[in-house]
Parts: sequence; structure tokens; C-alpha cells
Amino acid sequence: MITKIQVAYKNLLRKRVRSLLTLVGIALSSWVLVSLLGFNNGYKTALSKDIDNMGFQLMIMAKGCPYEAATMMLKGGTGLKYMKESIIGEVAKEPEVEKTTPILMAAAFDPNKGESGGVAVYFGVDPKTFSEMKPFFKFRKGAWFREENAYEAVMGYEAAELEQREVGDMILIPGKNVQFKVVGILERTGTQDDGTIFVPLKTAQKVFGKPDEITTLGIKVKKGVDSARLEERLYQLQDVQVVSMAQVKDTIMKLISTAKVMVLSIALIAILIAMVGVINTILTSVWERFQEIGILKTIGAMPWDIFKLIWIETLILCTTGGVLGVILALILARVTDVVIRSVLPYAPGGGLVLIDLELVLITLAGIMGIGLVSGIYPAWKAGRIRPLEAIRGEASR
Amino acid sequence: MFSSVKTIIIVVLLLVLGGSPEAWGAVGCDLNDPDRDVARLFPGSTGYKTVYVSIDRKGGEPLLAKVETRLGDKFHGIYETIDVPYTIYEIFADKKKIGYIHGVNQKGQFGGIQVFVALDLEGTIKAFYIQKMTSQYAGKLRDAKFGRQFIGLTLKDFEQYDIISGKASGKVEAIKNPAPEAEADFRAALRATKKNLVLMDEFVYLPQAASSPGGPPKQ
Repeated sequence: MITKIQVAYKNLLRKRVRSLLTLVGIALSSWVLVSLLGFNNGYKTALSKDIDNMGFQLMIMAKGCPYEAATMMLKGGTGLKYMKESIIGEVAKEPEVEKTTPILMAAAFDPNKGESGGVAVYFGVDPKTFSEMKPFFKFRKGAWFREENAYEAVMGYEAAELEQREVGDMILIPGKNVQFKVVGILERTGTQDDGTIFVPLKTAQKVFGKPDEITTLGIKVKKGVDSARLEERLYQLQDVQVVSMAQVKDTIMKLISTAKVMVLSIALIAILIAMVGVINTILTSVWERFQEIGILKTIGAMPWDIFKLIWIETLILCTTGGVLGVILALILARVTDVVIRSVLPYAPGGGLVLIDLELVLITLAGIMGIGLVSGIYPAWKAGRIRPLEAIRGEASR
Repeated sequence: MFSSVKTIIIVVLLLVLGGSPEAWGAVGCDLNDPDRDVARLFPGSTGYKTVYVSIDRKGGEPLLAKVETRLGDKFHGIYETIDVPYTIYEIFADKKKIGYIHGVNQKGQFGGIQVFVALDLEGTIKAFYIQKMTSQYAGKLRDAKFGRQFIGLTLKDFEQYDIISGKASGKVEAIKNPAPEAEADFRAALRATKKNLVLMDEFVYLPQAASSPGGPPKQ
């Protein structure tokens, strides 16, 4: 015996193009919705990973000092401020501090980069403490510097690629005419470190004329301690600013959430339009089958049977469209990732669109729920058709 | 019906695989400021179109072998690979194509060198430009005076230049190194120019000649 689902399915097939277009509308809007919700998931995860990969939860630097290499580039390598290295001892005394690592950021202007020159950025780091903070660093080739005073460099993957450097090659600090031997090239990390050239802290201090000075002190806090209290105490130190990675994360998420609300609103409007399309399709189909529904009723179909039949059609359209949208979102996740990345001013490394089972189920349930609601009116209209009127209506045509 | 579905699947897969930054194997060589640089390198131009090619997609291993033979040197280093994307700027004066600008990366003594040539439709160098070079003597090699020595040269002139020994004849031999202390970078610039011209011949000039009524030129 033929079931209601089979009847509904066959009815949809009677007007293939119309059903297909409605399906495409639902699929596209659910694709946008899944991708956006996936972006919400992915961005948060990727940002957390990026910040965790910094290895430290707090940074202190001289007041007014930019802490992003990008800021330094924009400012042409100027604007850096320095702290005395003695601050390391003061910070290390704090009971909440597990480890610290000093960094000297330095920029050299290279007149031979492009038409108007460019800035090359170097990170002077202490190989021992810095590598402890970055246990996820893997060397593609080579290793860290052998001595703290060595004229050696470790290059992030992209820096090495741009400069076409291999282990054993030399690099030259523009303007200083000092040569460093490349002793290590890192694997790609997907973070800012990929474009960085690391040199020993002591050597950087000497080459850039900043003895006993640093720009940044990275602080790893012991597990389970109240880092807010530590932050407050660090603020008491003279002429330093404290940057908490949690704060950085919150600020970026707040900026992103504004854009997200706008795009999500557009997605919801798209879904509403798709749903109006569903109502229109089903309602048109009901009017076209006016006489047919009347005959069904004369042979014993109850209003509830007709209601269910039409409702199932809506459900088939919405479920299939929703599933197609999810599949589309999964297949095109990487493309979406690239598009979003090209639009955002800052995007963390790793996948920006993270679609998991929970998200898929929630979206499908949502689409089906909206579909069921959209189907109520056409189904109710169909259920109310009077058999005699329907047959008369046909006769008059 | 089946073949069109298959085509759609292939296109989608290409987009998915090609869309990942991790999937791009090697770094290309682009002009830093194309609008400004094209106007400067190709006076009289009114616009340009960007085309991306790679040995990998254009002809694969056989093409790589051919390029290496014509270059007289193997592609080496982890950065000079078959999948390097090359950017070709097609230059227009109004709607008429008048030439090309193409750049390559080259390993230098202290860093990557980016060498661009502007070519007319016959493959003659109209301008030579080192966009990036790290060296104490970079200023001399990037000087317009050095670049002017390349104007008028073609791939034919570079064919006799031996990259391994550095021996040259004819017009290439006449190119003077303005910084004898930076011999390695001078030779790197010559290798980059020859590589640039060979690639342009394989990517643009030979296919064009093959599709012209007279067929490919005899080599």
C-alpha cells in the first residue's frame, strides 16, 4: 500500500522545476546559516589556539610600545620602547609566575625592498626559555642557536621561503651589515611566528645597540592561580603596561561579534525568504490540486489526512534542502575559510569554519522546525477544502 | 548528464583543494604595487591583466625537464619547485596587448632576489627591475644604469650563457657587474633573467607561435 510519504514525494515530482528551485533556495540559505555558525565555532577555537600558541598568558612591555609586528611595520619600525632587563628578576619573584621569557623586537629599514624600501623585523630571544614557552615549535631542518652570543638565526617557514634561505645560508641585517648564519628553519605554525626571524637575545642587543634592554617579557602563569591578582601587582611596576592574552581574545571576539550579528541577520532574512518560497510553492500546488483534493475527500479522506499529506510535502522539501545545504557547507568549508580570511582584517591560523555534528543537528532541526511552521497554512487551507465546491469549481472551468 | 555532474564534482574538488592556504606549495613573485610598477616599467601602457601559470599545470615533469635543459641548470632548493605559481602581467595600451611583465624569485647570497623583466610581444627586454635584493651592494645592482644593460636583449642572447661556469658571449658578456664584490648576486641576477626568459618562452611565446597560422618557429 502506498504511504502518505510516497504520495507527497510523487506530488512534488509532478512539478519538478518548481520543487527544485524551492529546494535550491532552502539549500542555499541553510548553507549560509551552517557556514556562519561554523565560522562562529571555528573563529573562537582558532583564536584561542593562536593565543595559547603564544606560550604565555601575560606580556609586559614599556608603556606605549606596540606589541604587534604589524603595528611596527605600519609605523616603519619606529615607536618601539624598551625596558631594562632587570625587570625579569622582579617579575620572577612573584609566586604566581611559572616562567618568563625576554624578547627584544628590532626593526631594520631595508632600502632595497621594493621602490620605497621596507622594514625587516627581528626577534631577539633567549633560546632556552623561549623554546620552553613554545613546545609546539618543530624544526623543518636544523635547531636553535648553540650559544647565546652566536651570530645565528632561526627562521619561520614563510620568512625562509620569502628569503629563499636554507640551513647553512647567510642572512644580512640591512643597514647594520652584520651577517647571521641560518641554523634552523621552523615548520609552518599558522601563526605570526611563520614570518619571523629569531636571533639570540644577547646578539640582538649588541647589534641593535640596546644592551640590557628588552621590548617584551612573556610570562607563563602557574596553573590554577589567580592571574588577575598578578596583573594588578604587575601594574605597580613603573612605566610598564600589562597585556593579558585573555583580554586580547575578548577584544577581538567583541569586534568580530558585531560583524557576525550583521551577517547572521542577513542569513536569517535569507531563510525567511526561502520559507516564503516554500509556502508559495505548496500553496500553488494545493490550488492546482483543488479538484483532486475534493475527490480524495469524497472517497473518505478526512481533513487531518489532507493536512498531513501537505505537511509532509513541506517537510520533505525543507529536510532535503537542509541536508543539501549542510553537505554544501561541509564541502565548501575551506573555500568559505579563504573568502572570510580575505575579508577580515585579522584572522587567526587554522580552520576558521568548524562544522561539527551538534551544529549540523541543530541547524537541521531549526530548518525542519521552520519548515513545519511554514507548512501549517497551506496544509490547513487544503484540509478545509469542501469536496462539492472543489468538484463544482473544476466543472465550471 | 553524468559527465556534467562529474565536471561539477571535479570543479568543486579543485576549489576545495586549491582553496586551502596549506595546499599552496610554493611562493610566487608579484609586483609590490602593480598599478604603479606597470606604469613605470611599461610607459605608454593603459592597463594590465594578471595571469597565473605554473610548470606543474602547464606541462608537468616533461616541461620542467625541458626548462632545466634550456636553462642549463637544475631547479634546486626547496623553494624552486615545479609548483611555483608565476604571475604574468599582460600589458595593454587601450585594448591592444603590447607586452608582458614577469618576475621570478632567485636565491641570492643573503636572501631572496626578485627579478622582473618587461618584454615586448617578440620577447625583447624593454625594462629590467630587481624588486628585492638583500646585499651591501644591492644599491648598485638595483641601479637603473645596471638595468639598462639588459634592454634590447632576448632569450637568444642568453642561450649561450652558461649558468654553472658563468661564461657568457656576445651581448650577455658585455653586461658589466657594477659590484665585483657581489659576484654571487650578479650571477644570481643573470640566472634569474635567463630563467625568466625561458619560462616566458615556454608559457607565452612558444604556445602563441604554435597557434599562429605559420606554426611554431624552427629551433
